[in-house]
Amino acid sequence: MLSSLARALTSTSVRSVRNVHRSAAACSDSLFVNYRYHSLLQHRDSADNNVDTPFEFTAENLKRAQAIISIYPDGHKKAAVIPLLDLAQRQVGNWLPITAMHEVAKLLDMPRMRVYEVATFYTMFMRNPVGKYHIQVCTTTPCWLRGSDDIMVTIHEKLGLKPGETTKDGLFTLSEVECLGACVNAPMMQINDDYYEDLAVADTKEILDTLTAGKKPKAGPRNGRFAAEPAGGLTSLTGPPPGPGFMVRDDL
Amino acid sequence: MALRLSTSLLSQLSRVGRLQGRAVSTSAVRYVDDLTVKQVEPKDTKSILASEEVQHQKAISGYITIDTPVDITPISGVPEEHIKTRRVVIKLPSKNAMQWRLFFDERERWENPLMGWSSTADPLSNIQVDFSSQEDAIAFCDKNGWEWTVVDPPVKPPRVKNYGANFSWNKRTRRSTK
Amino acid sequence: MLRIGASRLLQHGGRHAAVVSAARTQSSAPDKIEVFIDDMPVMVPPGTTVLQAAAQAGVEIPRFCYHERLSVAGNCRMCLVEVEKSVKPVAACAMPVMKGWRIKTDSEMTRKAREGDQSMAFGSDRSRFLENKRAVEDKNIGPLVKTIMTRCIHCTRCVRFATEIAGVEDLGTTGRGTNMEIGTYVEKMLLSELSGNVIDLCPVGALTSKPYAFTARPWEIRRTDSVDVMDAVGSNIVVNHRTGEVLRILPQVNEDINEEWLSDKSRFAYDGLKRQRLVYPMVKDSDGELRPCEWEDALIVAAKALKAADGSVAAIAGGLADAEALVALKDLVFPDAGTGTDLRSSYLLNTKIVGVEEADMIVFVGANPRFEAPLFNTRVRKAWTYNELHAAMIGPDVNLTYDCEHLGDDASIIGKLLDGSHPFSQRLTAAKRPMIVVGTSLLARPDGDVLYAQLLQLSQKLRSSCEGGSEWRVFNILHRVASQVAALDLGYTPGVADIRNNPPKVLYLMGADEGAITREDLPKDTLVIYQGHHGDQGAEMADVVLPGAAYTEKTATYVNMEGRAQQTQAALVPPGMAREDWKIIRALSEIVDTRLPYDKLNDIRNRLAEVSPNLTRYGDVEEANYFAQATALAEMVSGKKGAAPIDVPQKKLEDFYMTNSITRASPTMAKCIAAVKKEAANKYIE
Repeated sequence: MLSSLARALTSTSVRSVRNVHRSAAACSDSLFVNYRYHSLLQHRDSADNNVDTPFEFTAENLKRAQAIISIYPDGHKKAAVIPLLDLAQRQVGNWLPITAMHEVAKLLDMPRMRVYEVATFYTMFMRNPVGKYHIQVCTTTPCWLRGSDDIMVTIHEKLGLKPGETTKDGLFTLSEVECLGACVNAPMMQINDDYYEDLAVADTKEILDTLTAGKKPKAGPRNGRFAAEPAGGLTSLTGPPPGPGFMVRDDL
Repeated sequence: MALRLSTSLLSQLSRVGRLQGRAVSTSAVRYVDDLTVKQVEPKDTKSILASEEVQHQKAISGYITIDTPVDITPISGVPEEHIKTRRVVIKLPSKNAMQWRLFFDERERWENPLMGWSSTADPLSNIQVDFSSQEDAIAFCDKNGWEWTVVDPPVKPPRVKNYGANFSWNKRTRRSTK
Repeated sequence: MLRIGASRLLQHGGRHAAVVSAARTQSSAPDKIEVFIDDMPVMVPPGTTVLQAAAQAGVEIPRFCYHERLSVAGNCRMCLVEVEKSVKPVAACAMPVMKGWRIKTDSEMTRKAREGDQSMAFGSDRSRFLENKRAVEDKNIGPLVKTIMTRCIHCTRCVRFATEIAGVEDLGTTGRGTNMEIGTYVEKMLLSELSGNVIDLCPVGALTSKPYAFTARPWEIRRTDSVDVMDAVGSNIVVNHRTGEVLRILPQVNEDINEEWLSDKSRFAYDGLKRQRLVYPMVKDSDGELRPCEWEDALIVAAKALKAADGSVAAIAGGLADAEALVALKDLVFPDAGTGTDLRSSYLLNTKIVGVEEADMIVFVGANPRFEAPLFNTRVRKAWTYNELHAAMIGPDVNLTYDCEHLGDDASIIGKLLDGSHPFSQRLTAAKRPMIVVGTSLLARPDGDVLYAQLLQLSQKLRSSCEGGSEWRVFNILHRVASQVAALDLGYTPGVADIRNNPPKVLYLMGADEGAITREDLPKDTLVIYQGHHGDQGAEMADVVLPGAAYTEKTATYVNMEGRAQQTQAALVPPGMAREDWKIIRALSEIVDTRLPYDKLNDIRNRLAEVSPNLTRYGDVEEANYFAQATALAEMVSGKKGAAPIDVPQKKLEDFYMTNSITRASPTMAKCIAAVKKEAANKYIE
């Protein structure tokens, strides 16, 4: 009797699990940054992000905002929505509370929905809190071929983070992202505004250690390159550039 | 003599018809056609008839109109209730339709107590009659003795649509949304 | 447009209605260009889109996002067609045609382009989908619209409707690419009096009707064209019904009135037709309780009282009364009374609803068109969007969904505008085609006639100087109830002050439920007869109740605020022992011994035409142009102006839903009010 009841219960629960259709977006989207922050395209009130979350532009930023708005002609100040959202995000520190969007809407005299649309469209607007350092590791093909998996593993070992998670101390958030346009310097990661390129496992460890220590690691390529020049020195264009008349027929 | 009688009768009829000025009724036309076919023209009309009679004859040699709307209600066997009290709306059923359709007024409907089916005692409720022209539909209603109303198809004002309006610089048609 | 020859036919004495052809001259653009749709030549004005040109040639190009009353979005790509010499297929909805273009709507390229779509008719027949199906969370946007967002194809019709027509920018697209969603982003209700229209707009059924969900299949439904009576706009509707029950109400296209929209009240109040109905005649017994009885008994009680009253009878008509019932009641109670002495032009919306699209200035005085006549308001919004109409308001500062200059709520502003001392005067007199729209609540003020006279004079002054000339009518009244214009045409007078001052022995309430007169206003021995369809305030105070028919149950005449007569068609039969209203009065007249001379609907319509011929010219607006006389009359009005600020009865959305006995009985309307009130606490609402 009991066992059949138990069986019945399990069978219903199994069925209900099947019926609960997790949104595919939530399961599969790692296309942009990470699913936790970007799959949910509806706002959900949380303890640190709700309609009462305090947000106000600082006097200095307000001045900046006015300067940005003044760039645009009369009646078209809503064109300033992206720079203003960015300003708000920088003021809060890496993320954009819903009240900041409301503030921007108020400043630009536009419906809130239109601001929500912009903020959800652009992946660089983080609509939920992230750590002080937002690590975005590129795992698209060139970086992947050059060892981005190792970088991910290193970060996981050092900080215990999986994509989409934040450390308990609120310092680091890890995201797995698609191409950031630095394929020549693969593998790479972006931490806040800086690119760290040509990474080896040791470099990654050093960068994370420096950040944990509260210092700023040196941005850019880590293998001694200045920028995107060939790693083993130039193989072409080694001499001085030829002058005018180079390779031109003598009789001309 | 007999011939003369009939012509004057016809001319009277035609006068009545002209007075009323009503539409040609097809059955009446056929009747007149038969007459002209069967009639044997006298060989020397002009010599026999007076000039006014010749004119009469001329007047009736074509079609004449007789104002008798066809009414089949006395012989159709339809109960009087469904002749005298019915109202019909004649209209094009949808925006792209080419057929005029009759819509009868609604009668009481009830739920069948056994099966819950929708029931009605109205024999016309499920009749769908289409006509290629409004006039045909009207004639059919007249023939059956129904009061009718014509609903003209809506006139569509031309509308200028412009994708560029979404991006106009200083108009209210500018859209910040797609 | 309904055209009946009833008036003409009755003059002929036959049953044959004369039909007037609706020949309208279409202004043809001087230079048209020729294009070829599937090798068929078509002449179109320049700027016509490929899709419109194809429609003119009788070829319907499939589309999802394109809607003729919304802006062009061009995002669904369903309407892609091949244009000769073009490398890529073009979006027919957004591309204007060029001279000599050859458009192929059924070529290989066109068909291949359409296969991006997944549906049966145009799509590929094999699924190429191997991954997880995308699923989207449903949204809660209120008690009227149900969302099944996985069906959504992001055509953005609803977003465009909310933004452009309803003027409520709460819907939008969030996210991008495969993760794009339509919604409100934050949890909030779509606070609009027109929200139901997104149901009709949605091409896929992602937005459906909550009250109608799971009630019927379309093929089980019978449809009857009719006219809405929830406001004085006279929107054309299609009543969808089955087995004696209204299942839903949909709008019917009428370019002159509602285009193809319908207000939420007109669309969703139908469930009120099943509740609180009066289904049998009732007479108050000695205990003061209303008891059901036979028709004969009720009519005899009423007739006895009418006879005994010896002329001391008054009648009040409610907002849902039809013209047939009104004329029958008038003939019964006041057989000797003449028709109205009022000039028609002084109580109509003279510019007509379409006329708004020609205006360049509109001034509302004590009117809130958004809730009093939502579809008039959409017209104003349309003119505001496309024709740069300037709107101004004298009255409370309400949100009309478009920019409206608030001039204040002081009644003295009208006088200042008249003598030109108000700062706005200059702008007003400079207007080429100004409109002054007066709310009926203004006229009900104690000093209403003084303000009314001033407004008439102001209108006449503007009219004489404006560019529109004598053809342009400035003065407009915005009525709130469906019966008003017909009642005025038939000689009913507005207001009940007379009845209050000289209480009659018998008071006949024709669906009067708004509590204009309460039992306390009347002496104890006054007998109140209530005829109507709902057990509301009127029936509560009645001694005799005669159950009538609601607007879906009778073929009846209503005249809208423009003065346009239209008829409802009976979709159902009245419930129980209820009967059509004019028939009840006709039966009563026989017992009173003043038999009314009409037995059939056509007879009573003949009588209507006798009183005022416009009442049976269905679909048409009869011209009324007596402004000079009205102004002359107005100049004689003298009185004292009150100090009270100009106000409107319906200021917020919750005031919109319940305005008559049907809506008060409607659970859906009650849910709407509850939901709107709850949203007041939602901080996400701006």
